[in-house]
Amino acid sequence: MKKYVLKRVLTSIGTLLAIVLVLFILMHLMPGSPFNDEKLTDVQREVIYAKYGLDDPIVVQFGRYVVNMCKGDFGVSYKISKNTPISQLIETRLPISIGIGFYAVARGAVIGLILGLLAALKRDTIIDTVCTIVSVIGVSVPSYVFALGLSYTLGFKWKIFPMLYDSADALGSSVMPSIALSMFTMASIARFTRTEMIEVLGSEYMLLAESKGLSGTKLIFTHALRNALIPIITVLAPLVVDLMTGSLVVEKIFAIPGVGSLLVNAIQSNDYNVVIALSFIYSAMYIVIMLVVDILYGIIDPRIRLGKEGD
Amino acid sequence: MSDISAYVPRKEDFRLKNETEELGLDSNFASQNFWKEVVIRFFNKRSAVIGLVLILLIILFAAIGPGMNDYTYEGMIQEEKNLAPRVSWLEKFGIFDGSETMTTSVGDMEVNKYEDAGLTDTYYWFGSDIYGRDLWTRCWSGTRVSLIIAIAAAFIDMLIGMSYGLISGFFGGKVDMVMQRFLEICNGIPRLVIVTLLLLILKPGMLTIIFALLLTEWVGMSRIARAEMLKLKEQEFVLASRTLGAGSFFIIFKEVLPNIVGPVITQVMFSIPTAIFTEAFLSFVGLGIPVPKCSLGSLISDGYNSFTTHPYQIIPPIIIMALLMLSFNLLGDGLREAFDPKMKEM
Amino acid sequence: MKKRIIAFVLAATMVAGMTGCGSKSSDSASQGAAGAATSTDLNVMIETGVESLDPQQATDGTSFEVIADYTDGLMQMDADGNPINAIAESYEISEDGCTYTFKLRDDANWSNGKPVTAADFVFAWQRAVDPEVASEYAYMLSDIGQIVNAEEIIAGEKDKSELGVKAVDDKTLEVQLNVPVSYFLSLMYFPTFYPVNEEFFTECGDTFATSPETTLSNGAFVLDDYEPAATAFHLTKNEDYYDASKVSLTGLDYQVIQDSQTALMSYQSNTLDITLVNGDQVEQVSADPEFNTIGAGYLWYVSPNIKDVKELQNLNIRLALTNAINRENVTSQLNDGSLPTYTAVPRDFSADFSADQDKFGAYCADDATAAAKYWEAGLKELGVDSITLEMKVDDDDAPKKVATVLKSEWEETLPGLTVDIVTEPKKQRVQDLQEGEFELGLTRWGPDYDDPMTYLGMWVTDCANNYGFWSNEEYDSIIAECTTGELCTELDARRERLYDAEQLVMEDAVIFPIYTAANATLVKANVSGIEFHPVALNRVYKNTVKE
Repeated sequence: MKKYVLKRVLTSIGTLLAIVLVLFILMHLMPGSPFNDEKLTDVQREVIYAKYGLDDPIVVQFGRYVVNMCKGDFGVSYKISKNTPISQLIETRLPISIGIGFYAVARGAVIGLILGLLAALKRDTIIDTVCTIVSVIGVSVPSYVFALGLSYTLGFKWKIFPMLYDSADALGSSVMPSIALSMFTMASIARFTRTEMIEVLGSEYMLLAESKGLSGTKLIFTHALRNALIPIITVLAPLVVDLMTGSLVVEKIFAIPGVGSLLVNAIQSNDYNVVIALSFIYSAMYIVIMLVVDILYGIIDPRIRLGKEGD
Repeated sequence: MSDISAYVPRKEDFRLKNETEELGLDSNFASQNFWKEVVIRFFNKRSAVIGLVLILLIILFAAIGPGMNDYTYEGMIQEEKNLAPRVSWLEKFGIFDGSETMTTSVGDMEVNKYEDAGLTDTYYWFGSDIYGRDLWTRCWSGTRVSLIIAIAAAFIDMLIGMSYGLISGFFGGKVDMVMQRFLEICNGIPRLVIVTLLLLILKPGMLTIIFALLLTEWVGMSRIARAEMLKLKEQEFVLASRTLGAGSFFIIFKEVLPNIVGPVITQVMFSIPTAIFTEAFLSFVGLGIPVPKCSLGSLISDGYNSFTTHPYQIIPPIIIMALLMLSFNLLGDGLREAFDPKMKEM
Repeated sequence: MKKRIIAFVLAATMVAGMTGCGSKSSDSASQGAAGAATSTDLNVMIETGVESLDPQQATDGTSFEVIADYTDGLMQMDADGNPINAIAESYEISEDGCTYTFKLRDDANWSNGKPVTAADFVFAWQRAVDPEVASEYAYMLSDIGQIVNAEEIIAGEKDKSELGVKAVDDKTLEVQLNVPVSYFLSLMYFPTFYPVNEEFFTECGDTFATSPETTLSNGAFVLDDYEPAATAFHLTKNEDYYDASKVSLTGLDYQVIQDSQTALMSYQSNTLDITLVNGDQVEQVSADPEFNTIGAGYLWYVSPNIKDVKELQNLNIRLALTNAINRENVTSQLNDGSLPTYTAVPRDFSADFSADQDKFGAYCADDATAAAKYWEAGLKELGVDSITLEMKVDDDDAPKKVATVLKSEWEETLPGLTVDIVTEPKKQRVQDLQEGEFELGLTRWGPDYDDPMTYLGMWVTDCANNYGFWSNEEYDSIIAECTTGELCTELDARRERLYDAEQLVMEDAVIFPIYTAANATLVKANVSGIEFHPVALNRVYKNTVKE
């Protein structure tokens, strides 16, 4: 087991480094620099390039970047907030985005599970159809449309929740954005739960348990749901990261000071350092989540671990 | 004994068995054609058939819809901006008569811009947009664009992902190790970041979007192909083929591939809606199809800007998109169950 | 069995529901609290965040506006945009127009109690031209302000201490110019010229102007809640401001809102006192007495690439393109109060230069028949019967709308023309235009100072903003004459020569002007006295009253 964990951790670190390299190259392939403004002259641009070391060979820049990053220094923002260390920008924003994401995942997972369960148990009935339709709406209507709809009804018409993010009322202001974000998670979890449950319910051990005379509730919750939950963990992990994507636009609509809106601004103003830093953080979170899931999975299900070691 | 060992077989000792009777085939199971079974199972599932019919209907409308009236997707009529939906035969029932309730800061008011502008003979079935373009025509030509993008992306990513997964799974060992690490890196970069960067580097357009979608979607496909390959490569028919001297690529593409068609087609059906959805997101961040062409995504994001003013502009593309997602999902579900008889027993 | 499942599901739903209710009640309580506080803070919506609060580093309108909220320069703008004394109590101009002597007022203090001195200005201006600071607006001191040695210092040829500005004593500032600059006083309200206290700056080091603690105020307000790239920040009235009696607001509450519909809804539920409205929402508010359109000064125009694109080298083709634009149509599409513009210097800019709209309007009138005639002649000269052109456009809302209308108008009026629209992020579009990687480009220019030269200076040979690479000796000589030559001081003659220059640009269709931008704005009825300007500081709140 130890060997397996160590191997997974090492490969994750390698992956992360490779990702930094790819991001770095991609960013530099991008035409346009953060200093393209109508009002800058060539001479001034050269001066600024020299100031930030952007005129060095790309290899030198990359080396310097990796070294600094190991010290926890992502460099400074060129454009969004001039000369501010990026770590400082991210520090206050990341918890807000993670908080909203967490609410969204929790809400989406609970409701999704319930819907999926209902659909599976009442397969091919009207309940199943309704659940399917609800989950399809969840995956097919973009989260920004939900967000605006919520903002218009709950926020503007009925004035239940604030339309703009208010740091003094973090909980209240995260309700609408997290609902908007959770729709996709909810829908995906519902679909997946349904499929998994149907498969588990049809398996031989369920037949065995049933023939042993186990009661319905116990049968479903201790045997069926538990077995169905394991694969659901694996879809939940990437969904958490997908949430961040959704948060980009939702943060804009609710004026939330999170990392999503920062990334959008950074991409639009070619703020290289901020884009790389945020992409790196996204990737790191993704890889860590995948790593945790893999290790958990290895603990729960020894076949996986052995299978991987066998490769 | 020595006689037999010395015996040299001659040509006449062998002859081909051509006659079916002679072969003694098991006639009881002769009708159990795999594909026939699949088709029967598929058509027995009502929701799957509904999905298929819906998809065919939408494709039909995407093909003929834009030609059903005289408007074009890019033709603007300055005087006919922001008109609400109006359909001639529904008009007399008091719905779709071109009137709309406008919420303004000085109170709600009921307006009928057709009457105000004296357009007695003008009908926009889905209404017109802020430039005075017909939304019906735009919706269906947008559906066309979205479908082309999604289907092209899904099929190309099937080809790439499948080959990658099959090769990786078949060779195993070092090859698999390297290929899987590469895949992990591709998967580790957030999809949005890579797509956005790519669209900034490349010239925006349909091909670029297909390419960008492709880059992010093939990973799932290759995982499935690899898992199937790992399962199948230990089986006897692969061993048999190998003993007969078949090369690796023959085994991969001629022996194993036909056996994984089911899960692969199912996955394609699921990746089409994902592609449509991703394209919609790209449109919203301004990296979609170049104007004045449109896709479902760009129509939704255009309609979004008038959401509080003229809500009818966002509704048709959202409904079409939801129907498309629904039907592809139903179709996918139906196919999966049709290909996997284990699930049928349920 | 079934009942138990349903019971479980119900229980789970209730739990989910209750968490929702819990946050709901806590929220409405806090909302009530916020509503109860009756202050006269002005709630201001901005579209983009502050990029920098360092007056010599800032480049964007939002940053300028906020810096000016809490910093006064030598001069400030009156309601009409004319320079009036601020930190300067009086000034003298030497007879040759090359030496300005400013006397600073005695009661001007920084918020840490120290007096504002001439040395603060010297320090700030030297920072502005210091190549190490790399201020993007350094050219305001050199090319535009013509301060002695500024150009050489920026180029790294001289030390910054040689800049032609010196503190004669604590309260006297003397500025030396190379040539007389007629609009020099109006530059003094531009934030690049704002003072910075050297001692305080050195104390803050790298963190200067990144938090309330690292900013110093000498103006009407004090920054008291801010962090870099914040989406909401706050300023309070500066009680020690020398003009504090005239400031009636208790503070300014800024909120960055990027989504126009959210902004409008917030305004309608009284969370905002002033907001911008997107053209799509104008229909909802156009009947509202609180609705206003305010000129923003930006000239939007299409720049043809005259150097590299053979079709666009042809004058007839260019004239056909510019004449085929129905500018009224474009602005009605934008619907935010933007004005159709037919000249290279936009409307309502530089009051004594507005005769040009009548003078040169005919060069690009909306005249389909004239356009078609030019087009035919052009095609004949080129010997082709169809042309495909590509137009690069920012991927923002307004430019995309404009491009969509232009494409449709051009293709309709000019047979055989196809225009492909390529949308790009603004930074990339600017780079493409500067490097000549384009055929047609939709671009804009905002005025830096109140003189037509801020526009006409663009089309001299080799100017980085002369995207079309147009070159005309006569034009170059007129511009030189009017900037550094003998016409600097003779205002009437200079104006006539600038008209001549503009005529050259129009005759040659160097650019296709389209419209002068305006902002559709909503301001609450109980708010008065917000001053709007197209130049430098877009909004000034010093004299604003909220009842």
